[in-house]
Amino acid sequence: MPLLSLKSVSKAYNGVKALKGVSLDIGAGEIHALMGENGAGKSTLIKILAGVVAPDTAEIRVDDQLVTIDGAAGAHRLGFRFIHQEMNVVPALSVAENISLARSYPTRAGLIDWRALNASGRTALERLGISHIDPRQKMARLSLGDQMLVRISAAFLSAQGKPARLYVLDEPTAALTKEESERLFRVLEEIRSSGQSVIYVSHRLDEVMALCDRGTVLRDGVNIDTGRIAEITHDDLVAMMIGRKAQEAYPSASMAASDRVAFRMEGVTGGGAGPVSLEVRAGEILGIAGLSGMGQRALLRMAFGDLATRSGKMELDGAPYHPRSPADAWRLGLAYVPAERRAEGLVLTRPIFENMTLARLKAMSGAGIWLRPRAERALAGQLGGDVRLKARAVTQRVKELSGGNQQKVVFARALSTNPRVLLLDEPTRGVDVGAKFDIYTLIREMTARGMAVILVSSDLPELLGMADSIAIVREGRITTTVSAQGLGEDALINLCYGRTTSEAA
Amino acid sequence: MMKSALRIGLTAAAMLTAGSALAAKVAVITPYLSQPGTQFYVEAFQGVAKDKGWDVNVIDTAGDVAAVISRIEDMVNQKVDAIVINVDPSQVTAGLEAAKAANIPVFGMDAGANALLQTNVTSNGYAMAAETSTYVADRIGGAGKVVMFVFDAFPPVQVRGVIADAVFKNYPDISVLDRVTPDVSDGGIADSRAKMEAILAANPEPGSIKAVWAAWDQPALGALQAIEAAGRQNEGIVITGIDANPQAREEIAKGGNFEASVAQDFKGIGAATADAVARVLGGEVLKQRVIYVSTKLVTAANAKE
Amino acid sequence: MLQILRRYGTLIGFVAIVIFFSVMLPATFPTLKNWLNITQQLSMLTVVAAGMTIVMVMGDFDLSVGSMATLSGIVAAMLFVAGVPVPAAVAIALAVGLAGGLVNGVLVSVIGILPFVATLATLTIFSGVAFVLSGGKTISGRAIPPDFADFAKSGVALGDVAGVAVSLPTLTIVAVLVVGLVYILLEQTSVGRRLYAIGGNIEAAHLAGVAVKRLKLIAFSLTGLAAAGAGLMYASRVASANPTQGSGLMLNAIAAVFLGMSMSEEGEPRILATVLGVLILGVLDNGLTQMSVDSYVRQILVGAIIVLAVAASALGKRSRR
Repeated sequence: MPLLSLKSVSKAYNGVKALKGVSLDIGAGEIHALMGENGAGKSTLIKILAGVVAPDTAEIRVDDQLVTIDGAAGAHRLGFRFIHQEMNVVPALSVAENISLARSYPTRAGLIDWRALNASGRTALERLGISHIDPRQKMARLSLGDQMLVRISAAFLSAQGKPARLYVLDEPTAALTKEESERLFRVLEEIRSSGQSVIYVSHRLDEVMALCDRGTVLRDGVNIDTGRIAEITHDDLVAMMIGRKAQEAYPSASMAASDRVAFRMEGVTGGGAGPVSLEVRAGEILGIAGLSGMGQRALLRMAFGDLATRSGKMELDGAPYHPRSPADAWRLGLAYVPAERRAEGLVLTRPIFENMTLARLKAMSGAGIWLRPRAERALAGQLGGDVRLKARAVTQRVKELSGGNQQKVVFARALSTNPRVLLLDEPTRGVDVGAKFDIYTLIREMTARGMAVILVSSDLPELLGMADSIAIVREGRITTTVSAQGLGEDALINLCYGRTTSEAA
Repeated sequence: MMKSALRIGLTAAAMLTAGSALAAKVAVITPYLSQPGTQFYVEAFQGVAKDKGWDVNVIDTAGDVAAVISRIEDMVNQKVDAIVINVDPSQVTAGLEAAKAANIPVFGMDAGANALLQTNVTSNGYAMAAETSTYVADRIGGAGKVVMFVFDAFPPVQVRGVIADAVFKNYPDISVLDRVTPDVSDGGIADSRAKMEAILAANPEPGSIKAVWAAWDQPALGALQAIEAAGRQNEGIVITGIDANPQAREEIAKGGNFEASVAQDFKGIGAATADAVARVLGGEVLKQRVIYVSTKLVTAANAKE
Repeated sequence: MLQILRRYGTLIGFVAIVIFFSVMLPATFPTLKNWLNITQQLSMLTVVAAGMTIVMVMGDFDLSVGSMATLSGIVAAMLFVAGVPVPAAVAIALAVGLAGGLVNGVLVSVIGILPFVATLATLTIFSGVAFVLSGGKTISGRAIPPDFADFAKSGVALGDVAGVAVSLPTLTIVAVLVVGLVYILLEQTSVGRRLYAIGGNIEAAHLAGVAVKRLKLIAFSLTGLAAAGAGLMYASRVASANPTQGSGLMLNAIAAVFLGMSMSEEGEPRILATVLGVLILGVLDNGLTQMSVDSYVRQILVGAIIVLAVAASALGKRSRR
């Protein structure tokens, strides 16, 4: 008897069908992968389980009893727990407070018992094997990955009253390093062995292959297949998700990088990072690897003029380069794709074309002042074609697009200025498989045109598949730079932890 | 049963006739309705208007003078029979001209004289100052040093000072020790007290100051506080104010140094304005540009009224 | 249907109000003369609200507009008293507005104080300066040159309607011009586009190369300039300057922009929607006054209508999710 059984779940938004009769069984003590491209219906299904969205038709059984999920509280009563992709933390409160946010704080004599609160926070963190986060620290001071870990610990902290029976995790590792992810996997395995179940949503197929027992693939609101993961190959999974035979995961470079150094940083310090020295040649992709929060972001922000440098020098095409603002950097021929596209990349409420032309608006406008919307829309149409954007029209608001298409809009902006150097920060985070491939192809096209690319990523296969050479960042410094040629994932991980390849082997 | 039905019928009939043919529509427009004096005028005006069966629309613009112009324009547009304003007429000229163009009479209720008004009904500032300054002169036997508190920047108060100057000058043995203009940004009491304390310190001899004449009540209250704080309340220093506000009345009633003030008859102003409106609506042309309503000296004998 | 109601609810409400007053006051409300009156009465608020829209597009706001309007009126009047010719005095008063706005901009964007706090502080500062300059008194009467006072009374004659001479008030023309300029700025120029980008996502705009600090300076300066312009219009209309006279403008301007925002799907301020917001406030004032509704009841009604419009649009948005 399955723990949870869904039958013929359908849901339409304004006449558009998001789910068309999906069925799904989750057994007790099972880790079940839920896969599919963005827009396949995964989020809608999860929202229905969470009681946030009411299905049009559904037959939901828990322990073979027909139930209706009555709001978020109803889902909680049934023992469902959710860890969403988007952060919802209170930055001004401490880690321990955030962990206990959904529960009542322990009190003594009517006052908050801070000692007990911090102790329960520490216990929750230790469950994930986390010892480097102080529960008394302010949430705002943690890196993105650490914040995610705190949220995950909070969800695992047993809630009062109803015991947890099913955890639903939506892209939990998006902001985590490899090691952090692995700690999470160990906890999930523990959960499985205690008879609780997990629905695991991820675009990272390697994780799914390693962790999950069974998987269900959704495409266009229909469940394509459910099967045991052990009996399926990586390529089959991809083919099921995108509906065609998988292309090679990473397109190969069509030509070799030139010898001309396009961008150089020499002994640059600032924002607590550095000294950083690196160089990237025209047509080259320089990967930046490292554990999360090691200064990758500061490195890019200094190169882009957003973070003041304290010492060192930078050169662009051999000439001194001193950007004082991102506006300077754009003008001088750099472009930047930030890690958090919703928070840092896009003006979600505005149309696609306005987002694409924002960085070269001045050049596009008559006398630098008068808007020429027709020319803008024409350029946006062309850029949209270049990045293989799927949208109704360039006047569509960005927030209506899927994650992958939103990211393509950010890329289109970066291309709009014909940059010489492209700075990419986690360019495929939260992007589905099909769009990922489009983005990789696009990066290749750009390097073929002689663009130099700096690629910061926590997705190691991505770095290995795309970069020509990889610089390892640790504690704000580049410890070593290696060729990506023939480098394996294990070796790269060891480099990130500061062990040499030979020791690891 | 029959009787009451009949009465209702009659009242309704009376209201109908009043509403259709006879009821004059009168608008009262002020930015200052929330101030106590203004409320008294308006209530008294409404009292008379009710007797006359007028349809009165009271409009408060909550301190906004430009909105007074706007509301005058609205009322002109509505073709009311008369408009009463309670604001400096020179600031609402645009509205007054609109009313004039439409032949609608406008009346000032303690507003200020203006050629575009039929008349302005107010208290006589000259007379009020004459009442208190002669009271002071009499009480000190026509001899001694007097401290004056004045405020020449505000015209209605400035005229009071002029009269007091003239009265004291007419007594050869009265000399004005100081003519103080207090800082009024905090209401006037605190700074007047500070100024008076300095004057007392400079004139330590008992009897060296005979009286304090203030052009309005706040400086009189400040001076009283200074005298009491200096322990000189038994020297017989006579204090007078003008306006007779509640705090002043309380002090006067105690029978201490603060001996007299002058009360404006706010209700009288309201009633007299209504009277002026009635006369003009009746076809009379008013000769007086200003109609003064008499004031009353307040002393310990009548302070509690 | 629900969509239409959400998007155009405020507009429908406005039309309903106009129809209601037209039925209740057939002789005096739906007349050309009355509508010209309304536009003249609203001209100052329109100018302040247009300026307020500029900063609110960026998601900021400016509480100091009312006291800036007061200050510019006082500055002009003091200069008149000192014998400065009208055009020069007006230019200086406008420059004071620009400078005051620039100060707001510096506090908000360079120093990084929250707009609410920064402009609350400058609100009291500007007001204090107005009191200091004027000594707390009203400057009126002969001190105000007739040229200046007549400006607000003037208009372009439109001919006779039913035997009454009707003219298009100069103040109305000024307000329409200001609205037109703000429209061009916000909708037709790269500056406006960038302001909307800042309002949508300040971090994304900054990283996309938008000079956020400079644009904030420009926006706050223009808001200050508009406030000063409105102050001069006010001073001309009342032929005097008083250190408290503009204080009612700020809340009404913010209310008008919010009413306008309730019509935008994304809750963005738009200048033409702001104008509709101003009209709603003005028509309510005009109509309810004509219907002899008590002043205080009128205030309650106006507040209730703002809450209703904004709540309806908020609920409409939520139901869609």
